[in-house]
Amino acid sequence: MSEAKTTTRLEREMAAKRKRKIIAAVQYTLAILVTLIVLFPLYWMISSSVKSQEEILLAVPTLWPHEIHLENYLSVFKRVNFGKYYYNTIVMTAGILISQIVTGVFAAYGFSKGKFKGQGVCFLFVLGALMIPIQVTFIPIYIMCANWGLNDTFLGLILPECISPYYIFMLRQTFMAIDDSYIDAAKVDGLGRIGVITKILTPMCKSTLFTTTLVTFTNGWNSYFWPKIIAKNEQRRVLTVGLAQLKNTFAGQATMNNHEIMAGAVMAILPVVVMFFMFQKYMLTGYSKAAMK
Amino acid sequence: MEKKPLINPKTTSAIKDFVCVLPSLILIAIFTYYPICKLVQISFTDWNLLNDTWNYVGMKNWVWLFNGSGTKYLLNSLKVTILYSIGELTITLVGGLIFALIFNRMNGAFSIMRAIVFMPKYVAMSSAAVVFLWILNTDTGILNYLLGFFGVAPVAWLQNRHTALFAVLMVTGWRAIGYGMMIYLSAMIGISKDYYEAASLDGATAWQRFWKITIPMLSPTTLFLFVTTFLSSMKVFQSIDILTSGGPYRSTEVFVYKIYQYAMEDFRMDRASVIAIAFFVLLLVFTALTFKVSNNSVHYDS
Repeated sequence: MSEAKTTTRLEREMAAKRKRKIIAAVQYTLAILVTLIVLFPLYWMISSSVKSQEEILLAVPTLWPHEIHLENYLSVFKRVNFGKYYYNTIVMTAGILISQIVTGVFAAYGFSKGKFKGQGVCFLFVLGALMIPIQVTFIPIYIMCANWGLNDTFLGLILPECISPYYIFMLRQTFMAIDDSYIDAAKVDGLGRIGVITKILTPMCKSTLFTTTLVTFTNGWNSYFWPKIIAKNEQRRVLTVGLAQLKNTFAGQATMNNHEIMAGAVMAILPVVVMFFMFQKYMLTGYSKAAMK
Repeated sequence: MEKKPLINPKTTSAIKDFVCVLPSLILIAIFTYYPICKLVQISFTDWNLLNDTWNYVGMKNWVWLFNGSGTKYLLNSLKVTILYSIGELTITLVGGLIFALIFNRMNGAFSIMRAIVFMPKYVAMSSAAVVFLWILNTDTGILNYLLGFFGVAPVAWLQNRHTALFAVLMVTGWRAIGYGMMIYLSAMIGISKDYYEAASLDGATAWQRFWKITIPMLSPTTLFLFVTTFLSSMKVFQSIDILTSGGPYRSTEVFVYKIYQYAMEDFRMDRASVIAIAFFVLLLVFTALTFKVSNNSVHYDS
């Protein structure tokens, strides 16, 4: 009687174990399959970027490049002003980053630690801006910038993006969590507002500041809509717009030059992808923190 | 006698605090609120960038949009944008959740695979689009080449009005699905194991545990993903611009693309403005609705 019971229990345990193993096997198979599918476009981009023109035109596509042709990368620089695009993107992204950080940090301080009449209304004013995207307001902004002579200038690229309600909101939430006693103590020590912000609040919120800044950087680097509108001239064209126009630059022969277009695509994403692997952990927390709020 | 300061120190402090937020307020006023007002004004004019002057024309543009030759474009953009939104929402929410279940195993190999699946989010849309332009190409694309092995005739993914929107969604989905997965996974890790153990003791199957515990506990995350994905999908422009330019036969002509076309290609600021306002009101209404509905159905773990 008792013996039969133990065998069934053993059997049940064995069955459960087998079930777990099957689940694990299925999970591994699915995960590997999905990863390969998601990876494929990136692999295709990188591997094609070093193929020769004859190879990309073969009727049977090759998975692995026969020969490595790194000169494709140089030829992109020669055929279009890719170096200029790089420079423009870097200056624009840096400008957006710096202005968003400076305005954001000060505004977040005012909304979290400052006290003044109408603070609540002012904060609603900022939050309301979250609901009004540039895709709606770009027409008057474009006319305004054109009147100010900002077409095809760095100022025109940066100005409409120089403030981010999202950035202010995220920083304010973080600053709120810091105890006022730190600030009072610092004020007793004779620190002014700028001192409190740069010496107390900013260092204490380093990680949020960092993750939010990473998100801002990627958005700036990858931005397309506004740069396309305000910078039509090649002199101030950014990478994303320049890359999209490569297919027109090689007019009618886009498929002939896919190896060079792919080389351009790789170069456009390189800084962000390298950063992604360096700061992978922060990049996710940047988003999931927003999710928790 | 003690000298009284000219201004109350409390007032000075308040002024200094206000000065901290002032630059942001001014910039937001100039680049967000003023343009919205200006947009309303332009919608009552006949502003064409090619002409030197403009005049007020009353409701002409509004009539054009809601009861004239513009109505069919409005309805078409509405249809296309909503279809696109539903597609991206399905991919991010349902696909993201399924991916989260598949990749929910905490070891080195899985964390590398997760990173790979998440990475497309950081690949600039331009780069993604030019690669997919080639992959989806009717004659030289590798997708049709691979489908050929299964006897499928070449599909003109981006040139056929029935498949173009789907093809665009393939590209956006590729970038969005890993993001949905990561957000869901980080929320799933936060669900207390106690719930599952208690349910197991009561004899609940894995399927029941998923529907009765995981899904309700994830509802705040789902709401967050829904609202953010919905708002960003309504604003889609870049993928459409590079992949299809609104075609074929207007089958991918979303709102923002239509506004862009009127403003930057036809220079019809008046018409672009009315559509932009209609689009903005639509965004507001949808967002308000979402919050109203979600207030009743979202479960918050205390």
